[in-house]
Amino acid sequence: MDQFLVSLMNGVIYGLLLFMVSAGLTLIFGMMGVLNFAHASFYMLGAYFAYTLQDLIGFWGAVLVSPVLVGLVGVAVERFFLRRVHQYGHAHELLLTFGLSFIVAESIKLFFGNFPVDYRIPAALDVPAFAIGGAQYPVYRLLMGGIAIAMFIVIYLLLTRTRVGIVVRSAIYKPRMAEALGHNVPLVFMGVFGVGAALAGLAGAVAGAFYTTNPNMALELGVMVFVVVVVGGLGSLGGAMLASLLIGVVTSLAVSVDRSLADLFALVGAGAWARDVGGLLTLKISSLSATIPFALMLLILLVRPGGLMGEKV
Amino acid sequence: MRAVSISVFAVAAVGVATLFALPFLLSQGLLNAAVQMLIAALFASAYNLLCGQAGMLSFGHAAYFGVGAFGTVHAMNAIGGAGLLPTPLLPLVGAAFGLVFGAVAGWFATQRTGTYFAMITLAIAELVHSLAPHLKGLFGGEAGVSTMRMPAWGFDFGSTTQVYYLTLGWALLCVGLLYFFTHTPLGRLVYGLRENSHRLRFLGYNVHGLGIAVFAISAMFSGVAGALQVMSNESANYVVFDPGLSAAVILNSYIGGVKMFLGPALGAALMTFFGYAVSDLTQSWLLYQGILFVLVMMFMPAGLAGLPGTLSRLRQRFGLARAMPLVLLSMGAAILLSLGGAFAIELLQRLFSQDYRSAVRLHPGEAWPPVMLLSREWSPASMATWSVPLLLFAAGLLLAWLARRRGAALEGGQVERMPPGLAVPRTEGAA
Repeated sequence: MDQFLVSLMNGVIYGLLLFMVSAGLTLIFGMMGVLNFAHASFYMLGAYFAYTLQDLIGFWGAVLVSPVLVGLVGVAVERFFLRRVHQYGHAHELLLTFGLSFIVAESIKLFFGNFPVDYRIPAALDVPAFAIGGAQYPVYRLLMGGIAIAMFIVIYLLLTRTRVGIVVRSAIYKPRMAEALGHNVPLVFMGVFGVGAALAGLAGAVAGAFYTTNPNMALELGVMVFVVVVVGGLGSLGGAMLASLLIGVVTSLAVSVDRSLADLFALVGAGAWARDVGGLLTLKISSLSATIPFALMLLILLVRPGGLMGEKV
Repeated sequence: MRAVSISVFAVAAVGVATLFALPFLLSQGLLNAAVQMLIAALFASAYNLLCGQAGMLSFGHAAYFGVGAFGTVHAMNAIGGAGLLPTPLLPLVGAAFGLVFGAVAGWFATQRTGTYFAMITLAIAELVHSLAPHLKGLFGGEAGVSTMRMPAWGFDFGSTTQVYYLTLGWALLCVGLLYFFTHTPLGRLVYGLRENSHRLRFLGYNVHGLGIAVFAISAMFSGVAGALQVMSNESANYVVFDPGLSAAVILNSYIGGVKMFLGPALGAALMTFFGYAVSDLTQSWLLYQGILFVLVMMFMPAGLAGLPGTLSRLRQRFGLARAMPLVLLSMGAAILLSLGGAFAIELLQRLFSQDYRSAVRLHPGEAWPPVMLLSREWSPASMATWSVPLLLFAAGLLLAWLARRRGAALEGGQVERMPPGLAVPRTEGAA
């Protein structure tokens, strides 16, 4: 039971981290119709910027400054790259961001080497918050979850309660009409892109210290984030939250399940046959935990093509 | 029209003859590289059927390549190592595996279009990629599955030359079939799928079925490419499912140019060759590839294969004498900028390498030691070192600016001499 509780909490916090990255991605998609392949690269940049800055301005300074830098990178990407190829269509934009993510990953390898760097949480935060059944639960995990929840609330209030939020939502819903009414829609796009990138950068700066910071972190998280936004429904913030939590909890819980499909067959008396077949049937669920999100995504696309909270297709 | 097709035929014949003559011209190492180039070219052609011709952007084509590869490796080891089929026919196994897996995956993926399609293909590829290391029986775990090419039909397939001819035969056959396919009624419908699938549905075609068919055919030829890879390496490892391979085929195809039939094949062959040639010189080849890809996407959406077309259009419009300075200026700018870029990247790569950093840390307080580049020593602290890339960049930008002005002047003169209404819209070219 204790084990289950710890897994559940780890899953929720991993899900909240996924949400921090996927929130920007889904907002950008909803607005510009561009699925930004480089979005997870912003997450990685956030971690590496913070790692570089922490010697100069300390951990908290780095965590605050790094998202700003990443946001500026995002603004530059939108202004000088995406806007130039907008005329060729969405596929072209997707490919361009794909190329940019490639360049970011290779540049990181060039400057920092193709191995994890020593980016750690400060010793003052490396303390247990409470103990569950003998296992210490780190306070930093709770902090990460808290930051993600605070971020969700701020974005939500910003979008629904402020004037800026109204303009942004109208630019998402009917960009041409918003432009005709005198709003600078390209500027709004650039702003949202920059803020989305900064949020991913914040997630990277915070989470990079807890998990590992290496040149593959963008790819590993990026694929998971795509799963989240597709499962949640592209363009839906609430859907991204729901899907992030779902996937975080499912993958985290699956790691501790020491059963295989053969055990399921055993219930109907075909256990021996399944064990003879071997392969997929005797594979433990725990080793499938990286596979489950993708299977879940295919399933969702079949039964609810628009995603959990996406529009009807 | 007749004259054009004859000249195209002549170029193709010369190209094929050159390919057949290569074993007499190249060393063993280069011939091995040529085998890899052929495989990459076939894979890119198969990929282009889906992304260039049908307009369906797949981000996970390594899955079909890998499934074809593993199908073949198990067929080679079947019947106590004797092989399911004679060695020259083994790519058929790869084709069959690719086709079946492609049909299943295609059924899922073609439920949706556009960005969703891209995401589903990515998810399927990642599904296989994350599953493969755990299924040791099928994919051999870390060590992979190794095998042997069995002698058949009087050949022993022991030498690189024989492997080369086997690969060449299959690559030519498959690329020929793919070309033939574009001229069949089904192949023509594929273009319709890209341009306007709603209209196809209105005309009564089964769009989903069509999508699955194209997907499966593309996967089938990818499977052949995977099979050829296995036969050349005599082993298969789950590393083939790595996203890097899917990325490589996308980069290669678009750098080559997806609008032309042979563009992706040429791009893949070129990139594989450069990857082989510069692997001793630089560790940043993937970075160059990525930068080249982004530049192509931004400035030359037709890819490298579109360059001759742009040149001949310029010649037609302005005449050789007037277009020549523009072309030379643009080429000069491109060469200077890439030299400057490469110099800067290589310098940075050496300065940030682990060896260099530990060397600096070993002697704190001293001046930084010089780095070796182009068999010369460059001191990181001296102005001279950094002025080389800066000067190259400045000269390149100057030429680019001149080329741009020249292009604008040509366009201006052209528009003035033409009656209003006939002015041609500005085309890509100088930029």
